[in-house]
Amino acid sequence: MAGTLIGPGLSIEGELTSQEEVVVHGAVRGTLTASDAVSVGQGGVVEADIRAASLSVAGTVTGNVTANDRVDIQAGGRLIGDVKASRLTIADGASFKGNVDMDVG
Amino acid sequence: MAESSVIGQGTVIRGNVRGDGSIEIYGRVDGDVAVSGDVTLGESASVRGDVSGARLTIGGTVAGDLTGTEAVVLERTAQVTGDIAAPRVGIEEGARARGALRTEEPGAPAGGRTEVRRSPRPMESPRAAEREVPRIAAPAARIAPRPEPVAQRKAPPAPVVPALRGLHGRKKKARG
Repeated sequence: MAGTLIGPGLSIEGELTSQEEVVVHGAVRGTLTASDAVSVGQGGVVEADIRAASLSVAGTVTGNVTANDRVDIQAGGRLIGDVKASRLTIADGASFKGNVDMDVG
Repeated sequence: MAESSVIGQGTVIRGNVRGDGSIEIYGRVDGDVAVSGDVTLGESASVRGDVSGARLTIGGTVAGDLTGTEAVVLERTAQVTGDIAAPRVGIEEGARARGALRTEEPGAPAGGRTEVRRSPRPMESPRAAEREVPRIAAPAARIAPRPEPVAQRKAPPAPVVPALRGLHGRKKKARG
């Protein structure tokens, strides 16, 4: 299986850098950098600044997010932090607190 | 699948990885890995830190101690610098290891472990052997030097490595 999967119950403290897709069902504390997509599943907890091609949040993210492409906060997802991305969607039932920079002007 | 984790080949972690479930590592970890389940290190994997889990299957490179509550298996591509401790240890032909080996329950009294660690290299020159031996011999020999202890010195302690040889091919495929 390609990519990186942080299963539930697993916790990483430090710096995670990846050139492939990263899926978090467990916990990541520190920084998370990926040149591919990052998704935080239901039950996933990320307390880290995230830099990724795209980000999908169904769990909880606390930290600033920079995405080259897009950020999607799913229903039940929770994001606390500033978002810098050209596209952002927030589903009905998602929670979000922070500033949005969509690089306009 | 829900319980296991994968660190892909293109992933680098600087920090510690711990928790429940099993983990497969194909990338790089600069830090300790401690899980309750099994740990599999692929050939491309590199860990600089201690690795602990139930059953460790090592095909990659580790600079750190390996502790398995069930077993540690070094596959032919493994390169390990560090101590290995597990109730069952398997080393395939081609695996490279350097360090102390204990096939006991983890947490058992250290026994001869520290003694082994003090001489990680096999003795290369007779002069090195002379320097090593007085440390092992009783101090009384120094106070009253007699020819007999000199004869004993000619046999240096056996190097650590041959002890590992008997374990070749003990890899077990079945999971516990």
